[in-house]
Amino acid sequence: MTLVDADLRPPEPSRPVVFWRRYRRNRAALLGLFLFAIVVFMALTAGLVDPDDPLRRAGVPLTAPFVDWATPLGTDQLGRDILSGIFYGARISLLVGVVATLISIAIGVVIGALAGYFGGWVDDVLMRITEAFQTIPNFVLLLALVAILGSKIEWITLAIGIVSWTAPARMVRAEFMSLRGREFVDAARNLGVSNTAIIFREILPNALPPIVVYASVIMALSILLESALAFLGLGDPNYASWGNMIGQGRAVLRTAWYCAAIPGVAIVLTVLSFSLLGEGLNDALNPRQKQR
Amino acid sequence: MSSGPVLDIRDLRIALPEGSDRPFALEGLNLTVNPGEIVCLVGESGSGKSLTAGAVMRLLPEPHVQVAGGAIAFENQNLLDKTEAEMRKIRGNRISMIFQEPMTALNPQKTVGWQIDEVLGLHMNAPRSERRAHAIEMLDRVHIPDPASAYNAYPHQISGGQRQRVMIAMALSLSPRLIIADEPTTALDVTTQLQILKLIRELQEEDGAGVLFITHDFGVVAEIADHVVVLRNGVMVETGPASQVLNDPKHPYTQALISSVPALTPPPAKAVTQAPVVLKGTGLKKTFAASGGFLSGKREAVVAVRDLTFQLHKGETLGVVGESGSGKTTVSRIVTRLLEADSGAVELNDTDLLACSPRELRAMRKHIQMVFQDPMASLNPRKRVVDLIAQGPIVHGENRETARARARDLLELVELSPAAADRFPHEFSGGQRQRIGIARALALEPKVIVADEPVSALDVSVQAQVLTLLADLRERMQLSLLFVTHDLRVAAQLCDRIIVMQKGEIVESGLTAEVFADPQHPYTRNLLSSIPGRHWTPPTFKTAPVTEGAA
Repeated sequence: MTLVDADLRPPEPSRPVVFWRRYRRNRAALLGLFLFAIVVFMALTAGLVDPDDPLRRAGVPLTAPFVDWATPLGTDQLGRDILSGIFYGARISLLVGVVATLISIAIGVVIGALAGYFGGWVDDVLMRITEAFQTIPNFVLLLALVAILGSKIEWITLAIGIVSWTAPARMVRAEFMSLRGREFVDAARNLGVSNTAIIFREILPNALPPIVVYASVIMALSILLESALAFLGLGDPNYASWGNMIGQGRAVLRTAWYCAAIPGVAIVLTVLSFSLLGEGLNDALNPRQKQR
Repeated sequence: MSSGPVLDIRDLRIALPEGSDRPFALEGLNLTVNPGEIVCLVGESGSGKSLTAGAVMRLLPEPHVQVAGGAIAFENQNLLDKTEAEMRKIRGNRISMIFQEPMTALNPQKTVGWQIDEVLGLHMNAPRSERRAHAIEMLDRVHIPDPASAYNAYPHQISGGQRQRVMIAMALSLSPRLIIADEPTTALDVTTQLQILKLIRELQEEDGAGVLFITHDFGVVAEIADHVVVLRNGVMVETGPASQVLNDPKHPYTQALISSVPALTPPPAKAVTQAPVVLKGTGLKKTFAASGGFLSGKREAVVAVRDLTFQLHKGETLGVVGESGSGKTTVSRIVTRLLEADSGAVELNDTDLLACSPRELRAMRKHIQMVFQDPMASLNPRKRVVDLIAQGPIVHGENRETARARARDLLELVELSPAAADRFPHEFSGGQRQRIGIARALALEPKVIVADEPVSALDVSVQAQVLTLLADLRERMQLSLLFVTHDLRVAAQLCDRIIVMQKGEIVESGLTAEVFADPQHPYTRNLLSSIPGRHWTPPTFKTAPVTEGAA
């Protein structure tokens, strides 16, 4: 009875610990993490598996999988090793996935934050621009950009980033609109904090969880977009990419289905890993949504 | 009408999920509500009083929290045996509930009229026009100005007090046998509160309904209760007729709670009017533009503040009191320029704050700081306490390390342990968070602190502690406070002078002691005569007031 309100509760476990505990609860998310780890592992060890150029002729063209142990997953019509193509393709997919996502989230956060925080005419102008982008189908815009910029892998990544920023921008705007009215924002303004600092240091960290979750979706989408480009023969021919492999395997689909199927499975599993990862992040970062 | 008690709770136990701070939210509660009787269930937050209401309505968040034993008899039928379909017929019709938080209890998507009509449509067999007339009559009965306009309004378009009136109109519209009121007047101003309390009394006398009234406020208890049950951490510590519990409490916890109630006697007048003026507001005006749906009814533009002029002297506490909608919160926002006034001037250090450019304003802000009402919402949940407090000085060019070190000193000043510095806001109780808010405001060593209802979200015992802290800091640091509150008891404790606002205008101002002793304006008289429990003087006890914090 002598305790005063000023006494503290026992300290809580640190944030990463809490985060991991919540994440662990979702089994599918653990599978996603596992698949993601495999993709990262493949990208890292591609040079060890095949120190040479993955695009060189490695064996007899159209060898079936598990026939020749020099090329365990077989070869395509030009005699290229499918296994090393898969490993090197993981690099391209991750590169495109991560960099394009960073580009799109960066653009989306800046535009969405400005629109949501300031409102008024700033919001009107930025949202009309966003809508202009949204009216053009993603893939058509991507084709146009690649046609203009050329099909080097850097340009392709940039182009994918540019076509996918609209959805995060809208989401960030909505988050900012609800957060800017909260009292802690007034409190920061009252301390004399500048608008820039309020946007990026006060509001953005609070708006981050849904953005992080959505980033995993964009990552999956960018990998699909890159593959689709490569499938149409617009990918960078200098790199082994899963999309390229499917695109070329398409020609021999009836006689050597594995040329297209194996990279196809790789894409499916990678994209799946990102969406499971996203779901797990959602559970871990927004715990309240799921408790009911 | 059955002759027995309306509600009879026997040995009720409610289990909490595993891993909670205690196994039972409620242990062995016995409670009887007779027709025409008002039973007050009193306790601080976390005492299990709201869960009692949930158990009677069978609205507990099962299966996490569930009734583990006991019986709840409503008109001699055990509610715990009822099926969900039977409960639906009882809820809203025979037992109705008035919720704590009128904003969340109302659906923000639907108009007030639609929501009342929904209840009436479920239980009343009448054509639409008749239901509408009944709804408007109910809105009129709970004293909502212009009921026809309010019928078309959305919840966000009416004030907090009016929202609660709508909730009460909804609950009373079907003349229930039992009314469960969960802190129904906590969000209301005194005059409204008194009207609502009278209204609940009135209804009882008409219909003989029983009321289970949940509250933390002993003033309200003194005003309305026939019988009192005091809860502490789920255990009933004291029960008895109202007069006995209020004037001669036996249990030390009840004594501690009662001695935390601020007395209505203002402090002796200080000679501060000779001190220099630090903050001066002249001719302040603010109007909120008209809004109205395209298809729904229109609402008119609201004048929040009209022609307000005031002066705050150094070392003085100026109270701004008034009902909701009187513009007192708008005043606090205009003065700190979180809201742009339409016209007028706020002079601080001979500089007009309202005429400052954004850059000048940011520099000026260190002279005028604010303590916010909601200690949860006003602290950025992603920042550590030390960073929250040090933020202001750092923004104004203080060295990071010095600012952090000073933040730790400030924690001590507001009586928090230095270990608090590295925690996040959600790890603190409401009172502790408000202390952090005060430390943040003090960090810049401002000339003026504007406090917007700083204690209204806190439990009485915590409220008493925070008020003591504020009063103490004010003496030690020669603070000038602009203290916005709806609670006249709090104002009486802390303010040297008060200004009373009504509908955006000052109706009376003067020394607190003088205004309380001899109010001139009829509105002030009305306010003062509405203070709950004004006829009751809390008894004093020999033991020092002790209170329970988070363990």
